[in-house]
Amino acid sequence: MKVIPIFAEAGISGFESPAAEYKELGLSLDQLLIRHPNATFIGQANGDSMEGVGIFNGDLLIVDRSLTAKNGDIIVANYNGCFVCKLIDKTQALLLSASSKHPPVHIKPEDEFQLEGIVTRSIRLHQKSPEITLCTH
Amino acid sequence: MYALVDAVSFYASAEKVFDPSIRNKPVVVLTNNDGCICAVCPIARRLGIPKFKPYFQIKSFLERHNVVVRSSNYELYANLSERMMNVISRYCDDQYVYSIDESFLEFKHYDNLIDDWHKYGHEIRRAIWKETRLPVGVGFGTTPTLAKAANHAAKKLSGFNGVAVINDNIAALPILKRMSVTDVWGIGNRLGKKLNLLGIDTAAQLAQQSARNMKRQFSVVVERTVNELNGIACLSWDEVKAPKQEIFSTCSFGQRITDYNLLMFALVTHGSIVGKKLRHQHSLVKRLLIFASSSPHDSLHGNQYYKKSIVYEFPLATDSSSKIASAISIVLKEIFQHGIYFYRCGVGAISLESQRYQQPDLFAPSQPSPLIMNCFDKINQRYGQGTMTLASEGKDEKWQMRRNFLSPQYTSSWRDIPKINC
Repeated sequence: MKVIPIFAEAGISGFESPAAEYKELGLSLDQLLIRHPNATFIGQANGDSMEGVGIFNGDLLIVDRSLTAKNGDIIVANYNGCFVCKLIDKTQALLLSASSKHPPVHIKPEDEFQLEGIVTRSIRLHQKSPEITLCTH
Repeated sequence: MYALVDAVSFYASAEKVFDPSIRNKPVVVLTNNDGCICAVCPIARRLGIPKFKPYFQIKSFLERHNVVVRSSNYELYANLSERMMNVISRYCDDQYVYSIDESFLEFKHYDNLIDDWHKYGHEIRRAIWKETRLPVGVGFGTTPTLAKAANHAAKKLSGFNGVAVINDNIAALPILKRMSVTDVWGIGNRLGKKLNLLGIDTAAQLAQQSARNMKRQFSVVVERTVNELNGIACLSWDEVKAPKQEIFSTCSFGQRITDYNLLMFALVTHGSIVGKKLRHQHSLVKRLLIFASSSPHDSLHGNQYYKKSIVYEFPLATDSSSKIASAISIVLKEIFQHGIYFYRCGVGAISLESQRYQQPDLFAPSQPSPLIMNCFDKINQRYGQGTMTLASEGKDEKWQMRRNFLSPQYTSSWRDIPKINC
């Protein structure tokens, strides 16, 4: 006689979580920090001229291109072939730093200048991250 | 009404998005292996740099004019393409992404909503420029072919500032008159030459032909094109792109290969690429073509031209890279010959089957679990191409894609995000 063993199974089912019905998706930082994903890029701050508004060397900057800059906004611009992060004074065509060590820069007609976007958030990495190397300037 | 939105020299423009230092410089982008020029930005075009010219032939010219040279940065282009397509999709509920930088739109029942297509086109252009920093051309037409013609006018003909509208035959005529027949969608160079012999040089002349005659002399494709140029829509796009019928991965070597193992590494690398593409489109390969050859121009080594290709048939269709690799190792013994300076090799999946309609075989040896390849792909997607490879792909990178002028992975690698001076 051939015996086919079938192991007995005890149906241990436990208890359904009383919170199961309330389960939702976890929190997403992307959702909180990025309003317009198609128009947003992430850059890294390099320098100390914006410390007065809380942007330090090595911070991550969330830059939204879809917004229109108002006076006093923290913006990213292409200034003579470099990305710069400054406060914009549109009426006087000035790029202002948030630091007494750095005087305002007047945008002259011969300068290459394009507004790239608005810094809507900045993120500080209080501990080193293996993915990101700190800017050295 | 139809529209075609596409980027102005997409690869070159994409290079300028995150590198403001080259925004006002001539930029060209090279193809795989840095072989030919595949994109020329408008500034470089004014220097008279032609597309598809081998890089080495024009290298000194580029250096003399301080032209910025870049290798194809596909990771960056894929990201920017997605952004651009997403912005475009806001402007129409029926979008068909035709290629990495071209998107058709079909406006059904929009007549009462949009009274000025010109204005609408400029709105689309402005939004894409503002949000992605990519310059595009927008062409509107009453058929897809006319939309393509209008797009050509918008970008290439003077007097149009990035937007052109063909809303009737009267608007079509001046544009078609200024277009050569080979600029018409679907008319290639060879067909163009035949049409030239009949005295058809411009798109307008083609539009005047009898559609039925064109069908008789050439094909139903040309008939459709003539109808489309006259405002009768014949083309439509499938709701979903059909999966590819064949998948190939091939390359030529910078240095000739004479070693058995090196040839194996190269072929298995191609096999892996084919496997990945198969899995991406949920296909399985039943018959795999594997080939290697010397160069027909290699008189240098005094060798005769050698080419051998073998078709391997899998007992059971597969999408596993390791199965493909073992197939390669089986047939390579027949392909490889001592003393041959191998110049080209490749792998092609020539008969595909759908993953969904697979008939399993009761007696076939067990297949590797699809979870393995799934995991393999996920690791490479997350940590970058080449993080995990088959051991038989080797580590020597002699045959790998040459990308000597590659820009940073601005949007896909944290290490490479743009630096912003404060």
